Order: sequence, then C-alpha cells, then structure tokens
Amino acid sequence: MEILTGNELISGATVYLDRRGQWVEELQEARVFAVEEGEARDAAIAATKATLRIISLETEKVSVVEGLLVPERLRERIRAKGPTAPVLDRQHLYEDGHVSI
Amino acid sequence: MYRYDEFDAAFVGGRVAQFSDQVRRRIAGELNEDQFRPLRLMNGLYLQLHAYMLRIAVPYGTMSSRQLRKLAHIARTYDRGYGHFTTRQNIQFNWPKLKDVPAILEELSSVEMHAIQTSGNCIRNITTDQFAGAAADEIIDPRPVAEILRQWSSLHPEFSYLPRKFKIAMTGAPNDRAAIRFHDIGLQAVANAAGDIGWEVWVGGGLGRTPMVGKMINAYVPHEHLLAYLESILRVYNRYGRRDNKFKARIKILVHEEGLETIKGQVEAEFAEVRGGVLTLPQEELDRINTYFAPPAFQELAATRIDVAREAILDPGYGRWLERNLNSHRQPGYVSLTVSLKPIGGAPGDATAEQMEAVADLAERYSFDELRVTHEQNLVLPHVRVADLRAVYDALVAAELADGNAGLITDMIACPGLDYCALANARSIPIAQAISQKFASEERQKEIGDLKIKISGCINACGHHHVGHIGILGVEKKGGELYQITLGGDATENASVGKILGPGFEAEKVPDAIERLVDAYVARRESPAETFIAAFRRLGEAPFKEALYGAG
Repeated sequence: MEILTGNELISGATVYLDRRGQWVEELQEARVFAVEEGEARDAAIAATKATLRIISLETEKVSVVEGLLVPERLRERIRAKGPTAPVLDRQHLYEDGHVSI
Repeated sequence: MYRYDEFDAAFVGGRVAQFSDQVRRRIAGELNEDQFRPLRLMNGLYLQLHAYMLRIAVPYGTMSSRQLRKLAHIARTYDRGYGHFTTRQNIQFNWPKLKDVPAILEELSSVEMHAIQTSGNCIRNITTDQFAGAAADEIIDPRPVAEILRQWSSLHPEFSYLPRKFKIAMTGAPNDRAAIRFHDIGLQAVANAAGDIGWEVWVGGGLGRTPMVGKMINAYVPHEHLLAYLESILRVYNRYGRRDNKFKARIKILVHEEGLETIKGQVEAEFAEVRGGVLTLPQEELDRINTYFAPPAFQELAATRIDVAREAILDPGYGRWLERNLNSHRQPGYVSLTVSLKPIGGAPGDATAEQMEAVADLAERYSFDELRVTHEQNLVLPHVRVADLRAVYDALVAAELADGNAGLITDMIACPGLDYCALANARSIPIAQAISQKFASEERQKEIGDLKIKISGCINACGHHHVGHIGILGVEKKGGELYQITLGGDATENASVGKILGPGFEAEKVPDAIERLVDAYVARRESPAETFIAAFRRLGEAPFKEALYGAG
C-alpha cells in the first residue's frame, strides 16, 4: 500500500493527498493506493505536479496497524509528527496553503 | 570587524532584490520547482523534512552584537524563537516560510549578512579559529586573509559550478582549533626562515563517506601570492575533479587517485602562469583590510592570575566555568570565553532568541562588541577583562548559558540528524541528549576530563564523527536506527580518523556503551593528566574493544 506525500510550497509543511483530492496535514486522512491502483496514483501525481504547489512529491509505503496508517520508514513517521528531540509541533499550513487536484 | 564597502552592499542588495523577484515568480506559478530549486539553493534555502531551512553565513565565525540581535529578531519574528549554530560556523533557521524569506534576507542585508554560497558546488563560508585575533598562541590573525578570500570567492565566475562543494579553513595558531586538515584546503600561518609570515597549504582533507587527512602541498606561500596559489588549486580541481560520480567529486578523491605529486605539479604549472598577475595581493590592500581587524582598544592591564581553586570553593559552578571555558588571551588582563550551547539534555548548538540577545548584550558591554561562532557549536566572547568575568558569568547564569563544560564529554558536536535533515538516516540529537544526561554529574565530567564526542546522522558526517575521540555514526538498518562507534579520531594538528571497533548499537544502548569506553579509559590511564585520546594512542583499541564487546 502506498500514499502520496510532499511539502506545501509556501509553508514547506508536510502534506498528504486525501481521498477528496486535497492535500492535507493529517496522515490518517491520506488516500491509500493499493498495488492495482497504479494508474490512479500516477494520475494523481501528474495532477499534483500541474498545480506547482506541492514539492518533494514522493510515494511512501504504509501499513495499517490497529486501524491506523503507519509509514514503513522512520523518516516518514518523524515527518508525520514533527521533530522528536526536542519534541516540537510540526509545520502547519497557512490560509494560502490549501491545494487540491 | 570588516564593514561592507559600496561593492559589498550593492552585491548583497542586488541579490536580495533578485531572489525576492524569483520567490514572487515561484509563488505566482511563473517558475516551477525544477527551475526554482537551484535558485533557492544559491541563496541558502533548503527544503528539509518538516519545512524550509535557511542557512545563513557567519563569515569566518565573526559577528557583532548588532548582527546577533538581528538573528534573534529573525528567530522571533519569522521562525520559532530559536536558531541552530552549525559545525561550519553558520546559523540555520528550521521553520521559515517561503513567502517570508525575502523579508528575512532584507533584514540580514541591513546588518551586512546573507545566505549566499551556503549551498551549491561553490566555495563555502571560510572558517577559522574561534579565538582568532585573541589567542595567546596565535602567530597572526587569519581573519584579514579570510576576508580577502571571501571577497575573491564570492560569485567567482570560474568557481560557481565546481565538481562539488569546496570548503576552506584557516588558523593563525599552531594549535589547530579549526580542523584545517579536514577541509578541501587548509591554511596554517607559518614563518619562513627570514621570519616572514605566510601560509602552509594543505589540500584534499575531508570527512563524509571517504574521510581523509589533508596533505601538505606547499610549506610556505607568502601573503601576496596566496590568491594566485589558491586559484591554481581550484583551477586544477575544476578541470580534473570528477563530475561523473557525486561521491567521488571532492578534491580529496582527485588528490588520492592522482597522487599528491601529480596534483602538486599541475598546481605549480598553473601557479607559474598566474603568479605575479592580477591576483597578486598588494600590500596596501592587505593593510586596508587589516585595519578592519585592528585590535580593539585594550586597557594596559597587569597579567592577572585567576585563583580558580579559591573560586571553586566559594562557588563551584563559577569555579567549573573558570576552569573549563576560558582561553588565554594575548593581551594581559583579558581572556576569551566560551559560551556553552550544550546544556545537559539540550540540543547541541541551539540558542533561543532571548539567549542570543543576552550574549549580544554581553558582547557589547564586555567584549568590544564582538563575538564568535565555533565549529564546535558554541559561542565565544573573544575579549573579556578578567575583572569582568564574574559579572559575565552571572549574566550567563540568568540566561541559562553558564555551563562550565567546554571540551568535556557533554560538549558534543551533533548534526541535526533525522529529526530535521532530509539526508539523514538516523537521529543525532536524542543520542546527544541521552549521553549528556548519562554524564550530567559535574564531578564525573571533571574526572573524565578532555573528551570530544561527535555525532552524525548519516555518512555525510556534518557531525564530524570521524574526528571525534569517540565518534558516533547513525545508520539505517532494517527500517530502524543503528549507531556505529569509532575511536581515535582527532581534528587537531595531530589529525587522525577514527576506526570502527565492531558492530553497531541500538539507540537506547549507546549511552551505556559510551560509559563502558569511558570506564575503560579511566581505569587504564596513567594519571588524570593523560587524556582519553592520549590513552587510546598508547593502549591501542584492544581494551576499548573488550569494553564494548567483551573478551570473546
């Protein structure tokens, strides 16, 4: 299973593509692409690139643990929550930071 | 301190205007990210895990109070109220918004600072001894020459697209506090047989995935020919440095693969062409730059002995600070003092806006308005009267900056690691925090004595782990973090690269592993005067390997 993630242009905040085609802060709202949904995933990537507003766009492997999406890579788990030492809140989107495809 | 002339001001102001327009065009959708990325990197703006990161140059680690106050203002206004001082004497802000970056650069230019050439395959900020212009052991203040090199290397048309980034470090003292043997070019002030001061030139040092100690390519280059000589090295590197493989593109690989004598021959041939030409540095220009770095108006004071033992009885914290954080000054009655950014359990190199303002106030009042950033991620007040030390200490206590741990086990270097850095494979800061807490006891730190631990979260080695007496390298293994431990590194004039002793450790086991190494050292040293690195060199790795992994 994969999700799409990137950073929003203005704030640099970590964002995920959700099921409505919006780029949102919350990992748990991310749209999950099954292996057979490669075409839909690629279309979403192309549409996102066309907005010019999401950078460092990547696909990330996730699994579902107790009903929650958990990225396989530690890097992505840290991206989702913010720095661990010292613990700081992650970057948030601003009013001008909402992107949809 | 150096002050911008009209050319500097126009150059920085022009760049701010240019990049501001590029940001505007990016936000308006007139530029895409592929077009914009190289432009933002040229201006020190990276994208990291959580946000953009802006890296601001502190030329040769020297700042004024006004400049540090401006950094505090930027931290508070545009970021999250703190900044991170780095191993390259720079400062990084971890949370700027793209739309605010033009305003930040405008603010910086108002105090003669910028972020140009803090990224990219160009000549980066030139670093020096943090006690330059103050140290008792110094032959010459390297900063005037560093400033000349800054001017020469800024937007140098031939060297803006080198095979890879290029770092120069300099020291004016025989005791190398600038790690010059681990830079692409290292410069050490020396006197020739006639007593004239010039530069010993080292080339091909570096850390990263292929650590190498630099090699001396020229034992003496006079001031007036230094630019021509360095340009000759850069030309040879620019021509022959590998562009086919990013991991083999640094000059250290070229020197290693071709051999020092081959490179030296090519440099000398180039030097013969350019020597005596337009790059010859006129004495009057050197004199002009020197005036910016003239010693401040020191008072004529008698040499003052500090009775540390007495002070330690009266106030142990003050005693520890006096014992550890002072460096001998060439002017009687003065010292340089290190402001530790390594509180127990803190993030190495971080300072809040309030702390920056407190240090700026102290620099203004007690240190001729001057301060320094060290490559070991601390700050320095370079010129403090001995008579003012108590007042400075009390102010540092109020600012929570009075840790008397310079050079001790808790004075660690650590890169930002996986908590911030897009390149990292493992976290660094939590490891530093855990070790710091493990050795929080002041008595224990004093018992151990001089010991440098350096931590990197990936093989790029921004945390200089290769040259830590104890080095720690975080790697990714099976989706988790694992930490390799190296021993025997040394960044000074006794340069050496640490060696891995065996398998890595999980994060939670690292502090105990460090303690076993420390215990092995304390048990086997000849006396407390024998430092960890000296004991390691005498004993070899066997007792330390046994301490880590058992006798098996």
